[in-house]
Parts: sequence; C-alpha cells; structure tokens
Amino acid sequence: MATSMHLSRLRNWFLASPPIEFAISKLRDLLVGAIKQGPVPQHIAFIMDGNRRFARTHRIETVEGHNLGFEALARILEVCYRSGVQVVTIYAFSIENFKRSKFEVDALMEMARVKLSQMAQHGEILDRYGAKVRILGRLDLLRPDVLAAVNRATEMTQNNGDRVLNICFPYTSRDEISGAIRDTVSEYSKPLRSSRSSSSLPRTPFSEDHITQTIRSRTTNGKLEDSSMEFDSLSESSTLGEDDTQKPSHPNIVYQSETALSSAATLHLPDQTKGRKAEFTPEAEPPVFKSPETITRQTLTDHLLTRENPPLDLLIRTSGVERLSDFMLWQCHENTEIAFLDILWPEFDLWQFLPVLLRWQRRVSNAKKDPDAEGNFDGEFQESAEDSQEELVVSSAGKAKSL
Amino acid sequence: MVSKQDRELLRDNIRSRGTRLSATDRENIVKQYLPDPSELARWPPQRRKKVPRRTPIRTFIKSQIHLIAYTFLHIFFGIAVRLVQSFHAVVDRILAIIYYHHRTPELIRKDVKGLDRLPEHLSVILSLRKEDDALPILMDEVAELVSWTASAGIPVLSVYEKSGALKSCIPILHQVITNKLSSYFGSSQQPTLQLFAPHHPIYENRQDGGAPHDTLVVLLLSATDGQETFVDLTKTLAEMSQNGKLSPEDITMELIDAEISEITTRPSQEATPASGRGRLDSPQPFLSVKPEPDLLLVFGPFLKLDGYPPWHIRLTEMYCTGVSIDGGTGYGDTVEYQGFLRGLWHFAGAHMRFGR
Repeated sequence: MATSMHLSRLRNWFLASPPIEFAISKLRDLLVGAIKQGPVPQHIAFIMDGNRRFARTHRIETVEGHNLGFEALARILEVCYRSGVQVVTIYAFSIENFKRSKFEVDALMEMARVKLSQMAQHGEILDRYGAKVRILGRLDLLRPDVLAAVNRATEMTQNNGDRVLNICFPYTSRDEISGAIRDTVSEYSKPLRSSRSSSSLPRTPFSEDHITQTIRSRTTNGKLEDSSMEFDSLSESSTLGEDDTQKPSHPNIVYQSETALSSAATLHLPDQTKGRKAEFTPEAEPPVFKSPETITRQTLTDHLLTRENPPLDLLIRTSGVERLSDFMLWQCHENTEIAFLDILWPEFDLWQFLPVLLRWQRRVSNAKKDPDAEGNFDGEFQESAEDSQEELVVSSAGKAKSL
Repeated sequence: MVSKQDRELLRDNIRSRGTRLSATDRENIVKQYLPDPSELARWPPQRRKKVPRRTPIRTFIKSQIHLIAYTFLHIFFGIAVRLVQSFHAVVDRILAIIYYHHRTPELIRKDVKGLDRLPEHLSVILSLRKEDDALPILMDEVAELVSWTASAGIPVLSVYEKSGALKSCIPILHQVITNKLSSYFGSSQQPTLQLFAPHHPIYENRQDGGAPHDTLVVLLLSATDGQETFVDLTKTLAEMSQNGKLSPEDITMELIDAEISEITTRPSQEATPASGRGRLDSPQPFLSVKPEPDLLLVFGPFLKLDGYPPWHIRLTEMYCTGVSIDGGTGYGDTVEYQGFLRGLWHFAGAHMRFGR
C-alpha cells in the first residue's frame, strides 16, 4: 500500500516536471492536429457518469468529485473544439437527479451557478473563440438565481459563432419528446387567418382539406388504428384492401380548384355537405388549420431542443454503465455510434477519447470507400464540404509521401 | 494542457467558490493555453485578410507533420484493431465450442442457471442481409433466438428488424418458429408461443389439451414503430386539438407513455388467427408484457440503434456482440449462441441504478 502510494507520488512528480509536461502538451497538440486531418464527427454527446464513484473510491467529497469532473469536461471540450467538432452536448443534470440528496443537488446547482457566472465575466474571450452556450431542459425547475445565471450566459453567447456547447441541465429525453409533440400540436392548432390564406400556402400535390376531411370521417370510426394504416400498408399486404379503395380517388383531385374540391368531397361524404358549403361562404369563416397530415419526422425533429444542431454522430458514456438513461433517445436512434467506456468521468482524457475517435474515423472512411461494407451509415452523414476536405487530405497525403 | 501549478491555483479558487481570483487573474492564467485566434478558421474573411499569415513555411510543415501523424495513427490503430479482432474471434470460437446448445433446453438452462438475474424482456436487433435468401436466413435466426429465449426462461422477446420484412410473413415465421421449437422441446413440451407485431393480429399455438406450459411472447418491431409512431400520434393529437377535443396542455409524458406502450404491447383487437388450432382469449393475456426491454442485444460489429423505437430504451442495457457481418471467419452466422449467452452474462454482471 505504502509503496504504491510512493510510486504514484513519484509518477505525479515526474509527470508534473516541466520538461515532461511540455512534451506531453506537445504530444497532445500533435494528436489533436492529426485527428483534425480526417473526418471529424460534427456532434458529440457525453454522459458524464462516474463523478460520485470516483469520489468514493478516492475518498474525497462528492462535490470535489464533481469539480474534478468539470476539469475533465474542460479538457475534453478543448480536444473536441480544437479538432473541429461543431456541437458538444453534455448531460449535466437529469430531472431524475432531483431525487438525490438535497445537499448534493444544492452543491451541483451552486457549481453550475458559479461556473456560468464566471463564464459570463469572460465575455471577451468567449466572443473571440466564438463558443455558444445553450442550456437545454426544463428551466422552470431551476432555482431563480441559477436561472438568472443561465439566462445571462445564454444571452451573452447567443450571437457567437459556430461552436456550440449544449448543456442538458434538468433534462430527460422523454420530457423533450413530449415537449416537441406538445409544441407541434399547439402550432398546428393555431388557426390560420382565413380560408383564403390557405390558398396562399405552398401548394402540396394533394389537397390538404380533402385529406383532412377524409381522415376526420375515418377517425370517428376508430382513432389510432386508422391513422397508422398508412405505414402498415407499406409492410403488410393483407391490410391493403381498405386503403386501395380510397387511394385511387386522390390523384383525381390533385390541383383542382376549391369548388371542384368541395363537390368531390360531396361525392365522398354526403353527410358533411352542409358543413363544407358553409365554409366557402365569405361571411362565416370557421378556423382553418394546417393539416396534421403534413407532420413528418422532420417536423418533430425541428421542435426538439437540439433543432439547430447537426445530427448526432457519436455518443459517449463513461463509467461502464451501458444504458442511455433517458438521454438523446430521439437523436441517437438512427446513425449514432454509441460508445460505453469503462472509465470514470474524472479520469477521462484524450488518451481514452482517442481510440473512440479513431474507430469512428476508420468506420466513416471505410464506409465512404465502400458503401456496401459492414457498418455503413448509408452515406448520408457526409457533407460535401467534408468530402472535398477528404480529397484534399488524400492528395496532400500523396504529396507528403512523395516528399 | 494546463500545468500543475496553474491547475492548483484554479482548483483553490473553485474551493473558495470563486472568490479568490478575480476575472482578470483567471484570464491571465488561462490566456497562455488558448490557441492563437488567428489560427482559427472561423474568422470572418475580411478580418482574416488584415492579419497576414506570418509563418507560411512553419504552417505548412506543421500541417504536413499532422498529416503524417494521422496516417501513422491510423496504420497503428488499424493493426491494433485487427489484433483485437482476431483475438476476439479466437475467443468466440473457443466459447462456441465450450458452450453449444445441442438443441437441448436443459443445457441452455444450465448455462444461465448461475446468473444473478435474467432480463424479463429481451430485445434483439437483427439486420437483413443483402443476399437472395436473406429472408429465410433471418427467419431461421429469429427461430433460433426464440428457442434459446424460451429455454433460458425469458418470457418476452422482441425482435427488431429495420425494413419490416418479418412482419409481412408472420404466418410463415410462426410456422418456422414452431418447427424449431419442436426440434428443441419435442412436440409435447413446447411452450405456448404468442407472436405478434404492432397493428397485426396475434398468432398463437395452443395445445388443445394438457397442462399449460410456459408462455413466450414474441414481438416483431420495425423502423415504422419508431419515430413514425410518434408522427402518427402527433397527427392524431393535432387533429383532436384542432377539433377542440383536447388542449395542447393536456399532452403530458404520461399520456404519450400510455399511448406508445399501448401500441407496442398489445395486439390489435380484431385478431383472427389463421392457424386452425389458434384461438384468442377474450381477456387479453398481454397486460403483463413489460414494454421496456431490460437488455438489448445488437448482433453487429458496433453499437448502433438503426431506428429502434426510441421511447422504451431509456433504461435498457445495451450489449453489442461485436461480431462483424460476413467477417473473415468463414462462418456465415452472426447470431450465435455464445453471443446470446455473453449478453446474458454481461447483463447479470451489470448493476441497475436509477437516477444515475
């Protein structure tokens, strides 16, 4: 026990000596610069797990563990932004975490407040390096003084450039998805000004009103089963029967004028004729809504808290727990590579981060070379800018070899 | 990297709640570690022009060094990855020899007996291959998995396959699974199989007489049960809200949870089983199905959810077998018994903590 203590002290002394420190920092620079040469994930999310366990195993206070965790975060952020990552999202505090001891919650809140207000004092540096800080989550659950610090920090950095740090503060993904659905619904239930304005909307190939009406008549029979009929028919041929009878009527009414539409609707739904006719008289203008059928996955994605960010490329969770814990469920569900590392967050550094990044780069460049290869991401994750960058890398790599 | 001395200064400052150092002090400490702003690409072009590049040769050499470092890093990393992969392949083969099910439920039960806990709901992600006979292979894989799950005593298995090809041939799949189960259990000991997909009727094989056996519920999922379900739910909700039947404030996490769980755990009511022996109980026996899987097994080279329904996986343990599809081993199988078993071991060793 004593010898290992001495050894670790010797090691620390050795690592802290100026020449070694200098060499290590040069090595880090080199590695970061090297990573920058390949494709770099545009959006990385971290679940910073293991601060408490680190504190427990190292016999220090929990709060101290969180402080060390913050240092690790600063190190990682440096690596990320310098190697060209656009957006980093971190899971700082879950809504579930309010269940923890009051002492710890208060300490975490205090830490967030101090960090954010300190950050706000360095406005000039932040401006120069152009990091934008955004807090995602249920801000209404925060203490007023923390909320003030949050607002100040977001306000100060909102005009900054392209590097973004998303801090998920009291956040759960289910809450986020629910919020997105709620926002979408309330947006769609705001009536447009009148029926006239609906014609000025961008024209969709199918007449929205007609579909809405058809759907409405169908939803009276059964709600969920009917709305899901569409995608069922994609995979299942036996349920096609009912859809087939309705689908041919759609192409006929494309681009028809409104009066013709109303007659088409009359043919289809004789019981609702009166209601439809009243709608077209100029005196009485019942509210006209955006058709719910225009809602797509993109609509919901646009209502999430991460709407302005590129798709999530990489999600990293430390401490060996292999579970998402209600983080980024919607965002990481498709092409995100999820990495679970068996290390506690305060110990997390470039050396552990590097293999993950290298593996990602390897896979992405393999997938680009050979789209049919295993683990391809369907090629949709590559921007053209990155492609050209890659070409540049290849050509200059060739140059380097010829030199 | 921040030197130790400066780190200590900053740490002291944090301990005293940020009172010891003023903002300018901190800036002075930090300033030497910040990269030169002129190196950053995000400068607007007109300002960049003002600052001429002072050291073109040095910058060039630097970028070349970085390129060389990148190349070498990837060469060495590639070698390391290959070594690790071959090591794992060897371990896999050894495990596959030591642990083989021999189509005997007792052996499988023995393999999982020592485990502290088993998942109540196991979920697997499979992928359809590109060959011509991909669908039969996939169905065979599903049948094998169902048999192992039944033997291990796990009551619920959900199978995710992105394209939904499995859903289009439920009757055939049911037949394949039943055949496989009878090759494992014999014709008399077979567990009751309930196979269904969201919005599809349930298929059941129920023995006409005899003692009731274990029930195994198999749920087929595809990409349309993921985000598309939320889209449909939103459509319905938006419509209800437009008709004034519901206000947007009524939409809570609980409501969505209830609706989404409803779709994935209960088959549609108008079930008409095609198999002659199949019949449907009027009180649904599905109320006990746990919508959240406990363990998600990914049979593939790396962990990617590939469109898996997002709502229910928040507390799901994920395990990736790491077997590369059509890897160089010459064994075509990606779904292997030892991978399944390793996932269960892994699950038993992991700890569950709520609220992180």
